[in-house]
Amino acid sequence: MTRRYEAVYIFDSTLEDAAINEKIARFHALLQSTDEISIDHWGRRQLAYKIGPRDTGYYAIARFHASPTTLPEYERAMKLDDGVVRYLITLFEHEVGAPPMTEEEMARAARQDDDDDED
Amino acid sequence: MRRPQKSCPFCEGRVHYVDYKDDRTLGRFITDHGKILPSRLSGVCARHQRQLSTAIKRARYLAMIPYIRGHQA
Repeated sequence: MTRRYEAVYIFDSTLEDAAINEKIARFHALLQSTDEISIDHWGRRQLAYKIGPRDTGYYAIARFHASPTTLPEYERAMKLDDGVVRYLITLFEHEVGAPPMTEEEMARAARQDDDDDED
Repeated sequence: MRRPQKSCPFCEGRVHYVDYKDDRTLGRFITDHGKILPSRLSGVCARHQRQLSTAIKRARYLAMIPYIRGHQA
């Protein structure tokens, strides 16, 4: 069974773009995902607070389908990589994440909201 | 006397899920010091307040919004 995930990476902003792309490709190879992985590059951004000596970071967001069993190896690779300042993997499903919803799903969710939003 | 109910800004905007990557929206729901604004002040409904608090905590971890605003390390 595969599930849908969203991962945010913060890379060291001193890395070259090519090196960052190479790292992302290496991580994603570990997922053995058959579907195409969409990657959204936000680029270099100011961090809200300093992380070690760093003021800026390179943000990239990836969305993919993967089997939960491949995740530990993928996470381990990121932990060991010095170029990755931070990463966050979140589920991207139903109410847990924010995937595009069909009209039917929207209608069902709206009905549920009416039922249990008494406060 | 009961105060009139404030309406939830997320419900009004038909937002189904509070996104932790949207730091501009999250910024409206934190105080000057960076604390999560209580729902009694912002009028956010219980469901969205739960999502909002998780979203703010995730955004803090990703250095999109500060843990403490105005703090110099």
